[in-house]
Amino acid sequence: MFATLLGIFGEASTLHYALETFLIAAVTFLYFRRREVKDSRVKLTEKQKDELIAEWKPEPLVPDTPQDHPVLNPRFIDGKMTKYVKIEGKEYLNMVTSNFLGFVGEQRIEDVAKKTIFKYGVGSCGPRGFYGTVDVHLDLEKELAQFFGCEEAVLYSYGFATIASAIPAYAKRGDVIFVDKGVNFAIQKGLQASRARVEWFEHNDMEDLERLLELQAEKDKRDSVKAGKTRRFMVVEGIYANSGEICPLQKLMEFKWQHKVRIFIDESYSFGVLGKTGRGKL
Amino acid sequence: MSRRVNPICIDDFMNRQLTERTDILECAWHKRQQEDGGHSEDEETKHRDGHARGDLEEEEYLAPPAPRVKTFSIGDDWKTRERSPNEFEHISRWRALTVYLSWVTLIMFAYVREFLRNWGLETSHIKIELGKQKHFVPLFNDFEAVYQRNCYVRVRDVFERPIGSTPGAKVSLLDRYTEDGGWTFKFPGTQTEVINVGSYNYLGFAQNKGPCADAASTKINDEGLATCSTVHENGRSISQARLEALVAKFLGVNDAICFSMGFATNSMNAPCLVDKHSLIISDQYNHASLILGCRLSGASTKVFKHNDMKSLEKILRDAIAYGNPKTYRPYKKILIIVEGIYSMEGSISNLPGIIELKKKYGAYLYLDEAHSIGAMGRSGRGVVEYWGCDPNDVDILMGTFTKSFGSAGGYIAGSKKVIDHLRVASPTGYYSSPMSPPIAEQIYKSMSIIMGFDGTNDGEARIERLARNSRYFRLRLKQLGYIVYGSNDSPVVPVLIYYPTMCGFYGRQMLARGIGVVVVSFPATDMTEARVRFCVSAAHTKEQLDTVLNAMKEVGRETWCSSFSSHKQLYEKMKIEW
Ligand SMILES: Cc1ncc(COP(=O)(O)O)c(C=O)c1O
Repeated sequence: MFATLLGIFGEASTLHYALETFLIAAVTFLYFRRREVKDSRVKLTEKQKDELIAEWKPEPLVPDTPQDHPVLNPRFIDGKMTKYVKIEGKEYLNMVTSNFLGFVGEQRIEDVAKKTIFKYGVGSCGPRGFYGTVDVHLDLEKELAQFFGCEEAVLYSYGFATIASAIPAYAKRGDVIFVDKGVNFAIQKGLQASRARVEWFEHNDMEDLERLLELQAEKDKRDSVKAGKTRRFMVVEGIYANSGEICPLQKLMEFKWQHKVRIFIDESYSFGVLGKTGRGKL
Repeated sequence: MSRRVNPICIDDFMNRQLTERTDILECAWHKRQQEDGGHSEDEETKHRDGHARGDLEEEEYLAPPAPRVKTFSIGDDWKTRERSPNEFEHISRWRALTVYLSWVTLIMFAYVREFLRNWGLETSHIKIELGKQKHFVPLFNDFEAVYQRNCYVRVRDVFERPIGSTPGAKVSLLDRYTEDGGWTFKFPGTQTEVINVGSYNYLGFAQNKGPCADAASTKINDEGLATCSTVHENGRSISQARLEALVAKFLGVNDAICFSMGFATNSMNAPCLVDKHSLIISDQYNHASLILGCRLSGASTKVFKHNDMKSLEKILRDAIAYGNPKTYRPYKKILIIVEGIYSMEGSISNLPGIIELKKKYGAYLYLDEAHSIGAMGRSGRGVVEYWGCDPNDVDILMGTFTKSFGSAGGYIAGSKKVIDHLRVASPTGYYSSPMSPPIAEQIYKSMSIIMGFDGTNDGEARIERLARNSRYFRLRLKQLGYIVYGSNDSPVVPVLIYYPTMCGFYGRQMLARGIGVVVVSFPATDMTEARVRFCVSAAHTKEQLDTVLNAMKEVGRETWCSSFSSHKQLYEKMKIEW
């Protein structure tokens, strides 16, 4: 690449010299510029510091945990998490798993999984950028995109991390996100990581959302330069993990076009569940 | 030798410029601190930014921090040999200047092409938004998008190469070609087998046959593919509980807890340990997951110079003496976060030094062994064993299973009190699903092999092969005249090529010679330090490594990268045995 760049330089020699002179001048200027350091703190002597250090008592790293906490005394389920599960030899009806379509234990899926292990091994030993993308990933991404009728899809290896990294990937400092108060923990972490301004609206309350959007519109009118740079997003869930309620997507889409707000929708619970063909809320 | 900091100011300037324009985690790091009420900044170092602000004396940078270290003693029995120090050889200021020139040129051309495209003088392949959304505020900010569109895309073929086989010593790459300068790829459906020196397959457990694959597959029959429930709601499977017990035993501590992703292990658990009244002291080159963990925890964060005990001690002393500048109160607790082997530098952290400081000042220590667990130490127990330290001196031992164990997930190990707290308080327990049983089983089996529980010496042999391979490969590269960062004992081998434009060249030339390498540049490294990174594996044979070395020799001759090192004569006459 460098070679081609040089090639281009070689052809247009006047441009070449002009550019080069400019570059060298610019770089040399920066090269010799020094940043001054300022320090306004009260200075303590090393001896004073030693005394303070001797006095300092750190708190324990973690508080004590009561030993009878249920999480510390779990019960294990023998075998697969199918319709009925066995706990300590006794059979129970399984109402805890979110395996809505009952795919656990399906022979066809397990056979494919085993074949995959014997072709690719278990781990991919690398991130997506460095030889961690397997052809199966590409196929699945393509199929998902087709299924949803989207341009592209991207896979993550951990459901919990998906929304938490998708939000900060787009929403940055200075942007604004309108979020339902009932969203799940992963979304909250994503909002925190994005460091955008978060406007909470009451759970599933479209009037409240409208109020916030209008407030934002007023702000935009006052400062149109800033408005041109502020990306805005809405974050909702298809079926709320915390309350089981369904979001009013139609209304949200109306707002989307009216106020030019991009929308994130977490379909962890509604994908494969809602809609005639399982395409979630869409 | 500790890492010397580039004394020229342009470094600072360029980094500042870039930092202001990007929101990439590594760069965005410092921004918040400045905004959050500007706590003291002097002589603090930025993440991914080599420039220290204070006018520190040269000697300070050069002070050898690692105790008990002697240089090379080739030919000894590898088990009794001494530990190698971390090396960071530096190029001259003028060379650094030419690297900046290359950056400036690159960025200028990026803007020129952007301009041409805007005026329709160049065909544009840029992905555009749906017509009906074009009045929305654009999704991507200017600088990042320009960089992506004009710099990254042009060398996109050396990144994200999809594979079609196990990432073992050899790997099949899907052939692909592009007709539009890297914007889209077409797959003709063929594959090329190349020597794989890019995957983190340190102990060679990325296998599609053998005991691990068999065990993982059998586990599917017993426990299925997933538990479809969160950890607290009956989701923690028997296989995961069994694995946790083995991890604790392997590391020689009381208890351990496993998570299904290494990245989330860091980013979700660091916030359980510290709060806004605490201080995190973090190494300059810590991984993005740790940086995200620091950010989510809300604690104040200070960054010390890479592996520099003086810098760490100074920050510790000042932090305790001056307290929190925001509240004028003393910090409640101080957590030092370091890694075992740094994945981009190949350096091994000075654990004895850090433990000493931690004890002296009453801080806590969080050690991320993602790259070192399995790969370092006589029996694969990581840098703790490598340095002969007591695992109980490290408060939090963290590691991942994606690397040496050829699986997925991460663990945290430590005292029972710490782990009990995490079990109860960690948000991943409430909200995320536990490890998939076959994945847990792969780790269980590979860890048993490392520990010798399978009745063979397979594990031991792998560790020895890895140690021999790493040492041989590193020394030979130095003999070729390359600058190689880090310690000779580390299986992560970054070879410096400095110029960002070299990345594409090396990636392509090595591929043409049948070798898959990883090339990295800004923002994953400092601006002036683009590099080729090799990850040596126990699965590599000496012949394979020789092939790679020959290719490096040839490519090195075509560029001037193999003439950078001024220490070449040290290695010239050295007899390097495998
Ligand atoms: C130091 C460090 N910590 C954590 C991780 C994340 O691990 P995983 O890939 O399992 O999510 C990595 C991976 O590159 C790493 O290098």
